[in-house]
Amino acid sequence: MATVPFLLLIEDDDAIRTALEFSLSRQGHRVVTAATGEDGLKLLREQRPDLIVLDVMLPGIDGFEVCRRIRRTDQLPIILLTARNDDIDVVVGLESGADDYVVKPVQGRVLDARIRAVLRRGERESSDSASFGSLVIDRSAMTVTKNGQDLQLTPTELRLLLELSRRPGQALSRQQLLRLVWEHDYLGDSRLVDACVQRLRAKVEDVPSSPTLIRTVRGVGYRLDAPQ
Amino acid sequence: MKLSVRWISLRLRLMLVFALVALAAAVSASGIAYWLNRDAVLTRTQNAALDDFRKSLQDNTGSLPLMPTCPELQEAADRMAATSQKYEVLLIGKVKGGDCEAPSNRDLFTLKVVPQTLVTAVNRERKVDESNPYPYHLYWQRITLGGKPYLVGGAKVIGGGPTGYLLKSLENERADLNSLAWSLGIATGLALIGSALLAQAAASTVLRPVQRLGDAARRLGEGKLDTRLEVSGTDELADLSRTFNKTAESLQRRVEDLSAREASSRRFVADMSHELRTPLTAITAVTEVLEDEADSLDPMIAPAVQLVVSETRRLNDLVENLMEVTRFDAGTARLVLDDVDVADQVTACIDARAWLDAVELDAERGIMVRLDPRRLDVILANLIGNALKHGGSPVRVSVRTEDDSLRIDVRDHGPGIPEDVLPHVFDRFYKASASRPRSEGSGLGLSIALENAHIHGGEITAANSPEGGAVFTLVLPNAEPPTEAEEASGPADGEDRSDSGSAEGGTQ
Repeated sequence: MATVPFLLLIEDDDAIRTALEFSLSRQGHRVVTAATGEDGLKLLREQRPDLIVLDVMLPGIDGFEVCRRIRRTDQLPIILLTARNDDIDVVVGLESGADDYVVKPVQGRVLDARIRAVLRRGERESSDSASFGSLVIDRSAMTVTKNGQDLQLTPTELRLLLELSRRPGQALSRQQLLRLVWEHDYLGDSRLVDACVQRLRAKVEDVPSSPTLIRTVRGVGYRLDAPQ
Repeated sequence: MKLSVRWISLRLRLMLVFALVALAAAVSASGIAYWLNRDAVLTRTQNAALDDFRKSLQDNTGSLPLMPTCPELQEAADRMAATSQKYEVLLIGKVKGGDCEAPSNRDLFTLKVVPQTLVTAVNRERKVDESNPYPYHLYWQRITLGGKPYLVGGAKVIGGGPTGYLLKSLENERADLNSLAWSLGIATGLALIGSALLAQAAASTVLRPVQRLGDAARRLGEGKLDTRLEVSGTDELADLSRTFNKTAESLQRRVEDLSAREASSRRFVADMSHELRTPLTAITAVTEVLEDEADSLDPMIAPAVQLVVSETRRLNDLVENLMEVTRFDAGTARLVLDDVDVADQVTACIDARAWLDAVELDAERGIMVRLDPRRLDVILANLIGNALKHGGSPVRVSVRTEDDSLRIDVRDHGPGIPEDVLPHVFDRFYKASASRPRSEGSGLGLSIALENAHIHGGEITAANSPEGGAVFTLVLPNAEPPTEAEEASGPADGEDRSDSGSAEGGTQ
């Protein structure tokens, strides 16, 4: 990721699209834009950006649907741009696979910081590996295998698993995880953690509804256990 | 309870009135009937006895010699007593050798029994004139002997004959009249019972609709504006029911109208603040670029750019607050609960706003509370910001746990809040004084803080400290989270945080 981050901005409002493109370009990103979800999906296939900034309210297929369609094939990071921080929107957005969200009106700096934080999650930090039962986390290749099969994890899911696996058996609070994984300040939205844990469980657990690896510690947060 | 007692008393009053009317009617009717009957019975018996006596006296004494003997008198008396009228006779006449008393029944009827007044009346001789052809008249009187009623009558035979008295027992008549009185009493009693039943029925027919009306009015008062009454009949109560229905209908219309208007104005504010966001987003994104370049701009233009930047920020805050308020008004605000260390949150809140120098924090670390950290931050920022603005530093923030609640006091060292302002500090857009500069916040801060406390089931109170300065106290309920306590077993794990009550999505 030494190169200039390459972003796809999907936003229908001309003024916002222009302003954000302008602002993000000044922060040192390369930006391509699309005004609709359909155009965005087309651009995604053609140009392979590093990250997508996605408006929720789009004509035609909306942001949530775009997000779900991307997740079927791609694990690249998605940041939702929501004009409403109505809670249900945030929940739906996170369930459809977004890595993070920002609420309009957003300052360019804040969005830039979020983008860089999300992109950092895919960076390699160490070169060892760890295994938890049938789950093997290879920190040098940044891959996770379960029963020898590669798991497709988004950078956020991977980072969450890495942070948990670094402290096996130790419970981490949602606020701690928000700082470690999302690099959010003390006001991070704990639902980001919960939604990401759900998605991660769906991929790594044998039975996602009764997890044996990523355990909930009531009143604290989450913990990664090696199965006995 | 009071209501039901009142109902009973109305019922009682109705029954009482009915009973009184029935009693008056029955008593007067039976009284009149009794007296008429009694009069008729007694008069008939009396007249029959007296007529018979008069005739028998004439017949029997007429046949007596002028100066009869006592046994002759006795014989006449016995003869007279033997008639079908069944009365005793006492004849008194002058016989040879003085007066003779000849009773038909010596044990019962002697002259002693006859009242003196009757004797006097019988023996009084009247002057004979045109209107009074006889010197002596037949007199009678009713007396009681040994507890039994009797008729006593007496007459003197005209022309120096003996004086005759009769004693007729009225026992039978009394028995008849007694049984009549009994029947009348029973009839009165029945009438009373009937009237009570009638009163009950009348009370029910009147009170049931009244009670229905009362119930309906209560439901209406409780806000069930679609309450209507069934209207049957054309009486006053039906009229009242119709009026009630009309009133309820117009009330419902009015309330619906008002709430529709309120909803539309709320929707307008919500939509408006929503719409404002789109241009604001674009403006915010570019003003930042302007801000970065402010230093290198022409000094004549730089202040204008700074103004645009700072006012854009204020506009952002205002719109954000408006959105927050509309979410509370629409009831769409949700809690995002997490277990947090309160001291850490307070410190972070103060730190993030560069207030560390102006705020004294008295809080122990390790107080874990389950709450919405973002909303706690909003509350604290508003309370502390308000204290710094109006009270001046140092602002003292203390965090305590009391029983099942978390208590945070924010105390400033300013002049305190005037008593007349105190009840309004949480009102929207309330300004303590008209002269206060407009630029001090949106006027929504404390109101939003209060709403945020309420959504947690908590409360914020404002007061003046006895040592001076204003104190805002935030109390949030704290259902102690089982900190560090691990979950028991695997299967329960799967339930995740579905018990948290927040708006988390849980597709697993």
